[in-house]
Amino acid sequence: MAGKQPEEKEKRQKEWYRLDNAAVVYSAIQKERYSAVYRFSAVMDQPVDPAALQRAVDKTMPRFPGFRVRIKQGVFWYYSEFNDAPGPFVQKDISNCCQPVRFDQDDGWLVRFFYYERRISLEVFHAISDGAGAMTLLRTLLAVYLRELGYQIPNTCGVLDVDKPPRPEELEDAYARYATVKARRFTTLKKAYPNAGTAEPFYTLNVTMGFCSVRQLKEKAREHGASITEYLTAVLLKVLVDQQRRERPKKELPVALAIPINLRPWFPTESLRNFILTVRPCIDPGLGEYTFEEIVSQVHHYLRLNINRQQMQAELAGNVKFARNKLVQITPVVLKNPGVAFGYWMAGVRPFSGTYTNPGPFEVPEEMRPHIRRMEVILGQATMPRVHCASISYGDVMEITFAGTQKESDTERDFFRFLVRDGIHVKVESNRTQ
Amino acid sequence: MPYCVHCGVELDGTATFCPLCRTEVIDPGRPPDTQSPKPFPDERGEVPPIPKGAVAAVITAMLACVAVGCGLLNLFLKPGRTWSLYVIGATIMLWLWIVLPILFKRIPLLVRSLINVAAVALYVYLMSVELNGRAWYLGLAVPIILWGGAVWLLLSLMLRVYHRSVISSAAILIGSLGVFLLGVEFFIDRWLTGGWDPSWSLVVLTICVCTVIPLVIIRRIPAFREEVRRRFHT
Repeated sequence: MAGKQPEEKEKRQKEWYRLDNAAVVYSAIQKERYSAVYRFSAVMDQPVDPAALQRAVDKTMPRFPGFRVRIKQGVFWYYSEFNDAPGPFVQKDISNCCQPVRFDQDDGWLVRFFYYERRISLEVFHAISDGAGAMTLLRTLLAVYLRELGYQIPNTCGVLDVDKPPRPEELEDAYARYATVKARRFTTLKKAYPNAGTAEPFYTLNVTMGFCSVRQLKEKAREHGASITEYLTAVLLKVLVDQQRRERPKKELPVALAIPINLRPWFPTESLRNFILTVRPCIDPGLGEYTFEEIVSQVHHYLRLNINRQQMQAELAGNVKFARNKLVQITPVVLKNPGVAFGYWMAGVRPFSGTYTNPGPFEVPEEMRPHIRRMEVILGQATMPRVHCASISYGDVMEITFAGTQKESDTERDFFRFLVRDGIHVKVESNRTQ
Repeated sequence: MPYCVHCGVELDGTATFCPLCRTEVIDPGRPPDTQSPKPFPDERGEVPPIPKGAVAAVITAMLACVAVGCGLLNLFLKPGRTWSLYVIGATIMLWLWIVLPILFKRIPLLVRSLINVAAVALYVYLMSVELNGRAWYLGLAVPIILWGGAVWLLLSLMLRVYHRSVISSAAILIGSLGVFLLGVEFFIDRWLTGGWDPSWSLVVLTICVCTVIPLVIIRRIPAFREEVRRRFHT
């Protein structure tokens, strides 16, 4: 066994992976002023023990080889390879979180672990995993951390067994697997209200979190005939429509949100890598005034109508087909990057006023519940100074984050005021200092 | 627990203001808690600067390769003429224009203007060496280059002060062009005849002045400016 280890290590070092479609885009557009890094945090019931957390990270990371990678530039594509550098090491938390990654710095790590008081945070570069994958990593890490503190935590409810070897299915490129249908043609989307503010100095991220009761939200959403996600999406759309109207533009642009959809419920896969698509609920104030009820109804029906297996499969097939195009394949990566960046701007930035993501409730085994108070999620800075919205629920606490590099706090202020007016109790915390 | 009087949201006990509307928390009965930890850390993550040296090194290497390659080729291709000096001069000029600003972000305007003038002067000098044109270089080219540099410096300084309006920028730009060409004719005349008999440059200057006058009037008189803004709005 002892003699086998170096051989295994050498074999592992040579492992490399092709990037999936989402990863190709996120790697190409990564720059100093854009951060495809998101953060999940768990606020525990006790102050964090950094030594135990580091031990937990050391025990957990080998189980997640998909996160233990660095991204390198090939001639035609970026690729990821096993990162044999020491670490990742847990760090004291900082106020300007979700900093952009630099592939050649920090030993190439694309995951980061932070602690502050009772909070344990995990930051992930979006090229290596989506929210569902990162939540699995954090859930397992928290279970191992609590075991380090002496609690008995079973491997149930999505906690992976760190004593078992990683399974190849977890590293699958699910996009490629399900791109079996006829591709859908790309359509150009209309420019949306940009909701851009005044940029803060370099590397500042203003984070504002609101906490409310899931039960209250659910009741309120039901009153409007919608789910929580639909209700919050509608509130955000309403706030942005009103904001645009207050600015008195010559022509009112549509207000549209990018809502990432986890594809796993429709296309079974155990992959911990990216497997999402976005949908675009949109309100066009150019057509006339919308009441809040009408916006809720629009969002509700739009999401139900457009999130279906056939449509999503055709779309992901289109993305995969594009990457398999021979001309695209033989274009050197340095030339491909500006093209991908332009494509992302046209299809992923210009037609949207913001992003709203709701990865859903964070489930943990019964034994872990008393030790975790709440969960938090933050999206990194957008390509322009505007806010991204994200929410996550744990138990009865729904946490809603607005994060961005703009000085103004108009969107989050109007959003939370709307909830308060609608009868929902909101508590707000922020890292803003003035 | 404090609440924001404007937003109606509950705030953290340590908050001194509402992060949504920046209203101060004033509760005489319960001042903000300064003992408990804040919800977010205060320390900012420091970011190391991006190494700019790599980009500069690549461009330098490319330019150096071009210069050396052409220099070597000159030994075999038409060795009687030092044509490679044109290319070498151009690479030096490009290096001074492109690589220096990458390496040193904030060069003072005066120093940058001097470097730019020196780069052009050097390039023209290398050409004059190839053409045995020492006389015209000193008598004609150097004065024109220096004059151009001076006008450029003046232009940059004026644009720094009046850059807010497109109209003033355009007026300054057009005016500088007229003044520069006037000087060019002066130096050409002096070189050719020894005297100064302004002709074509006066025409150009007149056109420039006549173009600038309406711009200045529009800029100065608010009623005109408003009218132009109304008619040409996009």
